[in-house]
Amino acid sequence: MFDLVSNLTLGMSVALSLQNLGLCLLGCLIGTLIGVLPGVGPIATIAMLLPITFGLPPVGALIMLAGIYYGAQYGGSTTAILVNIPGEATSVVTVLDGHQMARQGRAGVALGLAAIGSFIAGTVATIIIAALGAPLTKLALLFGPADYFALMVLGLMFAVVLARGSIPKAIAMILVGILLSTVGTDLETGEERLTFGWSEISDGIDFAVIAMGMFGFAEIMKNLENKENRDVVKGAIGRLLPSLNDMRQAAAPIARGTLLGSFLGLLPGNGAVLGPFASYTIEKKLAKDPSRFGKGAVEGVAGPESANNAGAQTAFIPLLTLGIPPNAVMALMVGAMTIHGIIPGPQIISKQPQLFWGMIASMWIGNLMLLIINLPLIGLWVRLLKVPYGLMFPAIVLFCCIGIYSVNNAPIDVFMVAGFGLFGYMLLKFGFEPAPLLLGFVLGRLMEEKLRQALVISRGSFVTFLERPLSAFLLFLALIIVVVAVLPSVRKSRDTVFTE
Amino acid sequence: MSSPQNAGELPPRGPIKSPQDFAAGIFLIVLALIGIFGAFNLSMGKLSTVGPGMLPKVVAIIIGAFGVLLVVESLLSRGSRLAAWSLRGMVFVLGAALVFAATIRPLGLVIAGPLAVIISSFADAEHKLRSTLIFALVMTIFCGLLFKEALNLPIPFDSLDLLKPLHGPYAALKSTLKGLLFTIIGRG
Repeated sequence: MFDLVSNLTLGMSVALSLQNLGLCLLGCLIGTLIGVLPGVGPIATIAMLLPITFGLPPVGALIMLAGIYYGAQYGGSTTAILVNIPGEATSVVTVLDGHQMARQGRAGVALGLAAIGSFIAGTVATIIIAALGAPLTKLALLFGPADYFALMVLGLMFAVVLARGSIPKAIAMILVGILLSTVGTDLETGEERLTFGWSEISDGIDFAVIAMGMFGFAEIMKNLENKENRDVVKGAIGRLLPSLNDMRQAAAPIARGTLLGSFLGLLPGNGAVLGPFASYTIEKKLAKDPSRFGKGAVEGVAGPESANNAGAQTAFIPLLTLGIPPNAVMALMVGAMTIHGIIPGPQIISKQPQLFWGMIASMWIGNLMLLIINLPLIGLWVRLLKVPYGLMFPAIVLFCCIGIYSVNNAPIDVFMVAGFGLFGYMLLKFGFEPAPLLLGFVLGRLMEEKLRQALVISRGSFVTFLERPLSAFLLFLALIIVVVAVLPSVRKSRDTVFTE
Repeated sequence: MSSPQNAGELPPRGPIKSPQDFAAGIFLIVLALIGIFGAFNLSMGKLSTVGPGMLPKVVAIIIGAFGVLLVVESLLSRGSRLAAWSLRGMVFVLGAALVFAATIRPLGLVIAGPLAVIISSFADAEHKLRSTLIFALVMTIFCGLLFKEALNLPIPFDSLDLLKPLHGPYAALKSTLKGLLFTIIGRG
């Protein structure tokens, strides 16, 4: 306990420096901005802004990037409530009741509840990260190569189950991601693989290139096809502070959503996206009168928003303790860390305590800032929503080009982004979901390394994965997840969750 | 995210009952063939000493198997149509990136930036040329100030020295602003 306090004090002393405060604020502002604007997500933005962090000290760079990520979660709910379209994928559920509340002239209350719920969730999640960080890194030391491999398989299976659409297509996407990750020089033998004699990719394909192509460019092309009509709520937003009665109604959903989201965020394979859905389903089941849901129920905003934000924060735990990025944004964080010479994993906490605790403390400060940014500045964000997409996307194209060029100062990277943009667009047209591919790519190299290590240790016997209790348990879990997901009854409810 | 099921759109009659899945399957088979071809000469190794070719080949073969599965399925059960492709978006958005890549080194951001903005604007059928031109100019100035002046990124800005006549006035403006700032801070 004393450790926790002294660690957090150390973190605060780092996070409260003037530069880090400024970077945290900047990150939160950018995050809210892209969260509010539909069609611009944190993945493309962080990939775009990576070069900007080159000149910053590592702690400051990570604080800013983290701020963009969780700031986007706050911003996404604003759009969901006011415009009836989710600003981010994770605020899909908030649309249901949040926009109904806005229609009833209670937009302010919905925004207030979302912000307060998110802040409480963020605070709890920060404490959870601080408390679990140290013990989990000790656990990580028990992980052998086989266990790491099994954990990543589990994570990928989660990603399959959580992806929309057909399960074979999602698995195929993960495999394509893994195949792409093998491009480049083989780590053990130094042979070039799948480069077709093209020296530019002998170091492998840059993750930022794939992420920006598939999430920046492909998304633009998709958005240009289906013109959205933004029906921004007209009229007054109303009072922002929820009444005592609203708060009483929202208290339990916030608590449940926070716990649920925190737990799901811990899971590798982007469990965080499940949080809002799970919270909404639970609140609807627990409610005395479920028919109120979809018509502006307070619980339907407070619960999922809390789950969303809690999950976004605890998703840092697998990255900071095991070195395994659970989603695409965390994978970009790995990129940012490697640029600054930091290897993510259990050694961060002992070797770079200022970085670890500074980042955690900054998350809490960032949440506080977001509460302030979101509520009084709401008028500004509403005005931003009126910027037409026709002006926005050329700017995104230019930023993407400058950003990706600056990563390596190589024009070839910009060519490759265009290539992956086309690739991503084709995937969308064929009904593939790009997210599992990204995760497969991110984990692919590490998985192959661990698989080969494990097989060397076991002299080529696959039994090692079942002999080690930890890896056997993780693989068993992965199997259960897939079997359950394929069962017809669960498939049906999974489809309704996603279409609801 | 596009929903894979487009309700109400039944595919045409013929052997292929689900065109989208059929195309997806063929796509996967092509990817698998590229993978197998690219890793063809790499050694598989043994299970105890896995060679560099093992993983790419095995993964590519499984991808191909999924492709075959999708193709077979598309012949058996009805599914969604292949959605129309928007050539306009593809040509201008990707074209903008390609032009940027080709011009950034020899011409610099001063030319490459506006080109990227103007070309990509054509992807939107409703764009207006005048506002696009103004926007391109504003964006380029903004990016120049942000990436070159504030962040000092080594991006080529003005490779042809087109803006040379402006250097003098710009330096003068900067020093005036600096002086102004110092007097304000000095007083406060």
